[in-house]
Amino acid sequence: MGDKIPAMQFKDYYQTLGVARDASADDIKHAYRRLARKYHPDLNKEADAEARFKDIGEAYEVLKDPEKRAAYDDVGKRWQPGAEAPPPDWDSGYEFRGGDADFGGFGGEHSDFFEALFGRARAQARHRAPPRAQDHHAKVVIDLADAYRGASRSIRLQMPTIDAQGLMSLSERTLDVAIPAGVREGQHLRLAGQGAPGFDGAPAGDLYLEIAFRAHPRFRVDGRDVYVDLPVAPWEAALGAGVDVPLPDGSVVQLSVPAGSAQGRKLRLKGKGIPGKTPGDLYVVLQIAMPPAPDEAQRRAWAELARLQPFNPRAD
Amino acid sequence: MTKLTLLQCQVVEEEVQLSLTELCQASSAERELVLQLVEHGVIEPQGDAPQAWVFSGSSLQRTRVALRLLHDLELNLPGAALAVDLLDQIAQLQRELQALQRH
Repeated sequence: MGDKIPAMQFKDYYQTLGVARDASADDIKHAYRRLARKYHPDLNKEADAEARFKDIGEAYEVLKDPEKRAAYDDVGKRWQPGAEAPPPDWDSGYEFRGGDADFGGFGGEHSDFFEALFGRARAQARHRAPPRAQDHHAKVVIDLADAYRGASRSIRLQMPTIDAQGLMSLSERTLDVAIPAGVREGQHLRLAGQGAPGFDGAPAGDLYLEIAFRAHPRFRVDGRDVYVDLPVAPWEAALGAGVDVPLPDGSVVQLSVPAGSAQGRKLRLKGKGIPGKTPGDLYVVLQIAMPPAPDEAQRRAWAELARLQPFNPRAD
Repeated sequence: MTKLTLLQCQVVEEEVQLSLTELCQASSAERELVLQLVEHGVIEPQGDAPQAWVFSGSSLQRTRVALRLLHDLELNLPGAALAVDLLDQIAQLQRELQALQRH
């Protein structure tokens, strides 16, 4: 790190937590807890929550620790507002033990700014030597069709690796994974031996992949069951009809719409949901669609229908 | 180019059961903490003694969420246990709401 000055933004940790520069330790703790509850990725499913939470966690990690806070304040005083380059020697001279490295929280990854100031987190220093290497966790997004048919996926992962000095760095790996048919959103896949490498003959850790489905414009998934809206014409709903329904795996089934079907009627195609030992069902939800504005002949036909069928949809 | 070998995997929630040691390993949790999660009912193993405990695959996710909440939100165990249950309920309600909103 010493041989080049990184082009780096000063991070205003006080602003991140919304506290004054002279805030007390209690103020900082309260501000952190309030923001952490708001942005924690387990509680907040907004796309940017995880990034926000990491910023908040990093700010708190520095400001809650009197030594780190003093060092940070010192750098802040010498940082020229608007300057591209940090003050001389800004990233040296602060020695910290990486004692409270993460243990599975969402924090733990730090910004370049933090690492330049405090060094990289020492790996898991406070853990007892594990009997084998660490397990890793990652997410993978698949299509609903993959869950129907199974799929092979190349997954690129940033793997933290720990060198002989105990320093952590990221290296990239590509894995070709057989995604089994029948996997559901929120489930996890275990890949034995694909976690962190083991040292001294210890077995490697496992890799866990959390499954998420890419949102589909037509199909909606609820556990094993899949829902799809099917537009039908008013006369198809009234008289019954055989209608083609496309399935998520690309195949098509014929569905017979019963005569006299109401708007929103749910028709179940048993076993056509996500496959498995207990396969899910596919629910087809009828959406009665109106034809475009009628021409004169069609208008007369509607009028005739209105005459023949006195029907008040607002009767009750 | 390395040769393409497809890695096979197991669906944790359906095909995997974990011993206490395996659960600690997979969640990077101290054994003592996992014992406390059991005591507070966050995860419920089958079997009488810790040596004989068998955890369902879904225990892993509950354990990891509980650990994150304990650490990131500075909660205590009863608080984290409550939060994990409430998060499950919210997820269930959201699914039902989503289904209702289609009509």
